[in-house]
Amino acid sequence: MSHLSNIVKKEVKELLTPGSIASVLLMVILFACLGGLIGDEVSKSTVMPTIGVINSDEQTIVTEDGEWDAYEFLKAFYINSGDKRITPENVGNFVMKMDKEDILKQMESTGASVVLYISDDFKSNIESSIAAHDYDDPAKTYKSGEIAQYYIYTPTGMIGGTVSSSVTGYIITYMNASLSKFIVGNDEAAYIDFVKSPIEGSKTYTFINGESYEGVTPSEISNALTGQTMFIPIIIMIIIMMVGSIVISSMGSEKENKTLETLLTLPIRRATIVTGKIIAAAVVGLVFGVAYMIGMLFYIGSLSFMAIGGTSGIDVGNFGLALGLGDYLLLMLSMFLSIACALGICMILGAFAKNYKSAQTMTMPLSILAIIPMFITMFSGWYGSSDLIRGILFAIPFSHPMMATEALMNGDLTLVVSGLVYMAVFAVVSILITVRLYNSDILITGLSQNKYVEMLSGRNKRKR
Amino acid sequence: MTDALVLSDVRKTYGQREAVHGVSLTVHEGEIFGLIGHNGAGKTTILRMISTILKITSGRIEVYGHDVTKDSDSVRRLISYLPEDAGAYKDMTGRRYLTFIADFFVSGKERDEMVDRGIALADLGDKIDYRIDTYSKGMMRRLLIARAIMTRPKLAILDEVTSGLDVINAYEIREVIREIAKSGVTVVMSSHNMFEVDMLCDRVGMIDQGNLIEVGSPEELKKKYSKDTLEEVFVTAVKGA
Repeated sequence: MSHLSNIVKKEVKELLTPGSIASVLLMVILFACLGGLIGDEVSKSTVMPTIGVINSDEQTIVTEDGEWDAYEFLKAFYINSGDKRITPENVGNFVMKMDKEDILKQMESTGASVVLYISDDFKSNIESSIAAHDYDDPAKTYKSGEIAQYYIYTPTGMIGGTVSSSVTGYIITYMNASLSKFIVGNDEAAYIDFVKSPIEGSKTYTFINGESYEGVTPSEISNALTGQTMFIPIIIMIIIMMVGSIVISSMGSEKENKTLETLLTLPIRRATIVTGKIIAAAVVGLVFGVAYMIGMLFYIGSLSFMAIGGTSGIDVGNFGLALGLGDYLLLMLSMFLSIACALGICMILGAFAKNYKSAQTMTMPLSILAIIPMFITMFSGWYGSSDLIRGILFAIPFSHPMMATEALMNGDLTLVVSGLVYMAVFAVVSILITVRLYNSDILITGLSQNKYVEMLSGRNKRKR
Repeated sequence: MTDALVLSDVRKTYGQREAVHGVSLTVHEGEIFGLIGHNGAGKTTILRMISTILKITSGRIEVYGHDVTKDSDSVRRLISYLPEDAGAYKDMTGRRYLTFIADFFVSGKERDEMVDRGIALADLGDKIDYRIDTYSKGMMRRLLIARAIMTRPKLAILDEVTSGLDVINAYEIREVIREIAKSGVTVVMSSHNMFEVDMLCDRVGMIDQGNLIEVGSPEELKKKYSKDTLEEVFVTAVKGA
């Protein structure tokens, strides 16, 4: 067995303990369950709520053309809503007639999440307004029919709490449209549609990378891209923090368990020890990262499903924004180099760790460096940032894989390639510094006995 | 007589503080050489410089003719260093740890023979297949001594090898050191225990504040200072230094 593989094997075995594997699996299961939970809530929110109707007296509106009844309208609306549970036979289980006495009790006993209370003067107001209609008197006012809405507030969180009221809003809108057409007369229905929206504004054209595309707006594209790529910066941040923590902790453990001195006197090159630790951390970090990615995909999948309004229906590939094989290779290379940079930084930080506890503290600067680009790329991105922010983004090596997807979709190869070159140089320099540290006394003595630290701390002067 | 170890005017500076002041000494092949001195005298620093862990500020150290600064890879093939309070990877078994170390020296059948030798030296019975974090301090020391010796180093460097051990464990480890010296291994060890050094070592170097103040066999030193014990010699030598 080569020295390198011996070190790698030892490190991987140390890192992939049953405890660490169990904690990662637990995290994946948690993400997946969270996704499932959100998916269930979203599914619930897309079905029609059970609704109660208080139609105090006979409220059927009668004109020369026919009759319009709120309860009958709701039944027809529910049957045609697309909710597969509702049939003409069982629609009464979803749209229920109720009394105006003790509304709360009736809602609790039937499970209705909303009750529409059609006021006693609903019919008379509308019928009298129809009868009093006068084209020649613009100052004339008309009384509307009133429908009150009753809800029970239950703390069901972000999704469940908002659904019943928003769905009821849609129902009232459709009731209004139906009653408008009934009042004016079905012969004028098309004209009513025209009067309500005489301007046709649905045709949109958006230029993407110089090409014109019809039927899509920038916000729809942005929403679709966000849905598909928002998890990339999160995953990269998790992987960076994970491999960083692994390497620094490994160094801290070597010092705490007093195994480092033995390792340094074995007939192996210091560069081999450094490389072995880096390879093992990268492998384990990637394994954990992929596990997190799978969990995150479950979670993100449920969030995309939640995007009511239909951004998920947009295929960005139709607008020349899909990534090709070459783009994916560049993205992978970018991720690999950013991990190499993280490992280089961590090996340097780990060299100064006194023990496992101090090693954990040392992951803080790395975490900050991973979180900053994640937030910037998620909120404004490279193209929406000022020059100063761009400078900061470019200088932090972990930004580049986070920015790469957007840059590749925009055909900005210059940004991607310059980022790759920068990261390669950064990784090589940091690994060279690590090897130099491993060949120095600092690994054993720490910084306290370094002449430069003594000079900076002033201890040097006092001695003189 | 072959020189196993030669230190020539070796100095070590930490920041602005000189911890070792121009130490020169020679250890002959097959000798057990003891370094004695109080805490912070510079014993561990000297052993670490010999072991290639710390850089020499000035001077020269040679192990069997190999310069520890210029030819550290060759030196590491010849030595075995057991630091004070050294540990092992706690999630490994004793056997796995010995195999891990042996893999850096030899492979195949030779590796297996080296591991078998280590297991015999450790003499831990079926505990050799237990995880190291279940070992007592004495068992851990036996395993580490076995690790240090199974590779058949030409020079074994042992720092406070019996420190913190009970009487029985300390006795057994001293016996192991005697045996390995008989097999031709040169031993350089540090200790606070003057009785131990007196019993074990062929020659002794006394270190005080980074200076080598005396070198000689225990008998020579006791005769020179007209004292009955090495401890009395050390106290007298330090006060007179």
